[in-house]
Amino acid sequence: MSAEKFDVVVIGAGPGGYVAAIRSAQLGFKTAVIEREFLGGVCLNVGCIPSKAMISAAHFLHRLEHDAGTMGISVSGTKLDMPKLKAWKQSVCDKMSGGVAQLLKGNKVTIINGEAKFKSVSELVVREKAGEKSITADHFIIATGSRPIEIPGFQPDENDVVTSTGALDFEEVPKRLVAIGGGYIGIEISSYLRKLGSEVVVLEAGKGLLQGAADADCVKVVERKLKKSGVIVHTEAFAQSWKKQGKDLVVTAKVKGKEETFKCDKILLTVGRKPNSDEMNLSGIGLKIDERGFIKTNAQRKTNIPNIYAIGDICGQPMLAHKASHEGVLVAEVIAGQNRVYDARTVPAVIFTDPEIASAGWTEEECKANGYHDLKVGKFPFGANGKAVSLMETDGFVKMIADAKTHRVFGVHIVGPEASNLISEAALAIEMGACVEDIALTIHPHPTLGETMMEAAEATLGHAIHTINRPVSQTSANA
Amino acid sequence: MAEQIVNLPDIGEGVTEGEMVKWLVNVGDVVEPDQPIAEVMTDKATVEVPTPYAGTVKELKANEGDIVPIETPLLILDSDGASASAPKKQAAPKQEPPAVAAPTPSPAPVAVASSNGAGGAMDVYPPVADARVLASPSSRRLARDLSVDINHVKGTGLAGRVTRDDVLQAKSQGVIMPAASPAGRTTIAPVVPGSVPKPAYQSPAGAVEEREPLRGIRRKIAHNMQMYKQIIPHFTLMDEANVTELVKTRTQAKIAADSLGIKITYLPFVMKALIATCREFPMFNASIDDANEEIVYKKYFNIGFAADTPNGLVVPVIKDADRKTILQISQEIMDLAGRAREGKLRPEEMKDATITITNIGSVGGSYATPIINHPEVAILGMYKISDRPVYINGKFKHAKVMNFSMTADHRLIDGAVAANFLSGFIKRIEHPANLMLDMV
Repeated sequence: MSAEKFDVVVIGAGPGGYVAAIRSAQLGFKTAVIEREFLGGVCLNVGCIPSKAMISAAHFLHRLEHDAGTMGISVSGTKLDMPKLKAWKQSVCDKMSGGVAQLLKGNKVTIINGEAKFKSVSELVVREKAGEKSITADHFIIATGSRPIEIPGFQPDENDVVTSTGALDFEEVPKRLVAIGGGYIGIEISSYLRKLGSEVVVLEAGKGLLQGAADADCVKVVERKLKKSGVIVHTEAFAQSWKKQGKDLVVTAKVKGKEETFKCDKILLTVGRKPNSDEMNLSGIGLKIDERGFIKTNAQRKTNIPNIYAIGDICGQPMLAHKASHEGVLVAEVIAGQNRVYDARTVPAVIFTDPEIASAGWTEEECKANGYHDLKVGKFPFGANGKAVSLMETDGFVKMIADAKTHRVFGVHIVGPEASNLISEAALAIEMGACVEDIALTIHPHPTLGETMMEAAEATLGHAIHTINRPVSQTSANA
Repeated sequence: MAEQIVNLPDIGEGVTEGEMVKWLVNVGDVVEPDQPIAEVMTDKATVEVPTPYAGTVKELKANEGDIVPIETPLLILDSDGASASAPKKQAAPKQEPPAVAAPTPSPAPVAVASSNGAGGAMDVYPPVADARVLASPSSRRLARDLSVDINHVKGTGLAGRVTRDDVLQAKSQGVIMPAASPAGRTTIAPVVPGSVPKPAYQSPAGAVEEREPLRGIRRKIAHNMQMYKQIIPHFTLMDEANVTELVKTRTQAKIAADSLGIKITYLPFVMKALIATCREFPMFNASIDDANEEIVYKKYFNIGFAADTPNGLVVPVIKDADRKTILQISQEIMDLAGRAREGKLRPEEMKDATITITNIGSVGGSYATPIINHPEVAILGMYKISDRPVYINGKFKHAKVMNFSMTADHRLIDGAVAANFLSGFIKRIEHPANLMLDMV
């Protein structure tokens, strides 16, 4: 078995891995990327991208059915063709995944389709369709990501019990859905399936939805709208077991200590994700993994083995594609001998609920945990923004948190239309160490949703123009 | 052929960089683990840096004279998989890769010595910017590219923002690293780097001059002396002591010690008298923690002694001198002074002094005003012994007289206290027999 030899081998072609491979090749390394399933990873194929396609279709349908009439457009006979929607969603994924393939090829990265396993710190065995082959390299970048967590009694078969992967690929809209887990993946999927016509029950073990994933004030807005749309939410609900009863699936759960049953057609299991660090013989070669399964790395994403690096979900929270891509570039440059470290101040996070939630920087609680107790907090509602009103998307607000003394922006939390597209300005502000005035004094074009950022900055200073400024509690985060 | 990068290791607590003095290997040389590859000058000492790996030297990453931060590459080795390329010194986990046959020899799993908690930044230099540092991503990157620790750069921009110019300025002036202060406490602004002007020297037209780079120990001395003088308000007190008795005692002791092959000087006696006096005046064996506005009294006595070497001044330290005999101290002085002259002291042998003695009396000069070795707060000067007439009980008598100076940090030590200290010291040194009373 003759070994193929590379300078850099990246394992996993998700948003961390393919980016690392491209930058490695750009830096002149002979590079290969090994992928066992699909280029683009979970993100492009069974995660971020297909879910956004489904959400945008569902939102479109929802607006036709609910908002069009108010605008004087009468629409009758809207009908969902699920196989066609599914095919369109797939075409979106294929287009993105195909783009990755082109980029890799264009940068002369060798793509190896197979499953890799470390034989030693300098050699991999890759199982391909055609058989096994050996790959050696000077440097390895592990970017193999994460997978859904399973809970006892709910083994996903992607038919009755589905993970996000199965849910994104439903042949038809389930009449009734029980979603176990009220985190951001569960809520995104529940929201769009509701819009497509499912009756949805969410069973969340914690005390509220989206716990720890977003600012508590933002979550309230989403929770209210979710319930208004007809989604039934049970908190402190622990799913125990399920069984088939004729055509029905029956889920038994302890809800606030009381046993209850829920009939449905599909069970969605979204209780979090865990790193894929139990694969590839990582512990066999002596790679250090922490108690939560994340590969231990330093600020350069070096592991304890000098020629092996780890990026993305497998090396720690937050498990977000854009963090992985940032690390992919970083690691390739470190390998090239450049002094690079992970020193980003914030990883902005977005939840594609209705309305969207997006955040950058610290919440009030996090400011306090970091030793900043004297804060200024300002809020500006989308209801007072002309563009939002004309879009008929007025739920939500922009909330800005800053240091009371220096006015340095610590965090921005948005719930509302296009929150996902608005948050980048806040991320830039935080990375630049901007003060509230820097945002307030930047002319924002009218009429746009972006004006809310400027107004929130003004509100933080106590003098927003387009809303009545109420004294905002400086320590509203007593919780 | 696998490439193995050899970094400049952590060569002593608080040492962040070293100057490449001399390469001991050339490109193409085959090296074994632990073989010295370079002489690097740090913190007043030259150390030999060994390679932890075996291999063939492929590339030298630094030139002689370069300043190299720790944990950055010194050289690159080609180490073929067949030979042991695992670091010898570091304890590799003794586990066999389970369930995997190994038909070809492969490097054993290697544990990196530096800490590697997730996200930990202890092993990168410069350290990752703290959340308190206001600097844009581009300024942070510039600082990293220039090896400037942005955590210690004073920002001149709005709200203390560290600008691109601040970083460039810090690079051109060299950043002084203040002592780390425990997080959460109020801190007083540390010594501001860059507050010392760095004027260029303009040569007069036609002047015959020669320039040489400020390098090595001389560079360190220049840097440190400037900093110490900047931090400490010095004052000096001088007096003379009748050391006739001391000379006799030492002469006797010398005869006994010579037979053991140990050279006894006056220095150990002065150390003993100094320690005894410091016990009476603990503020002389102390430091000021400026960052936390606290006085640190030390319950141990590590006595530094200034040693002249061909390369310049170094200060080796006799650790726990209060618990050593005069004979032991003498032996240690011989060893340290000898190796100081050869430039072979290890950094830790010049660290953690609690008070220092400077002895330039053997060379000349009646008195001097030395600079305190910060963070110490005092330095005792001892000068040459001379024959002089002294007036005792209405008569002139011949006496051996030695001058002493006490230079102290005026922030902590008042003039009168220093006067009492010096007179207490002189009483002890004039009556060496009484020193026995203070012996541990």
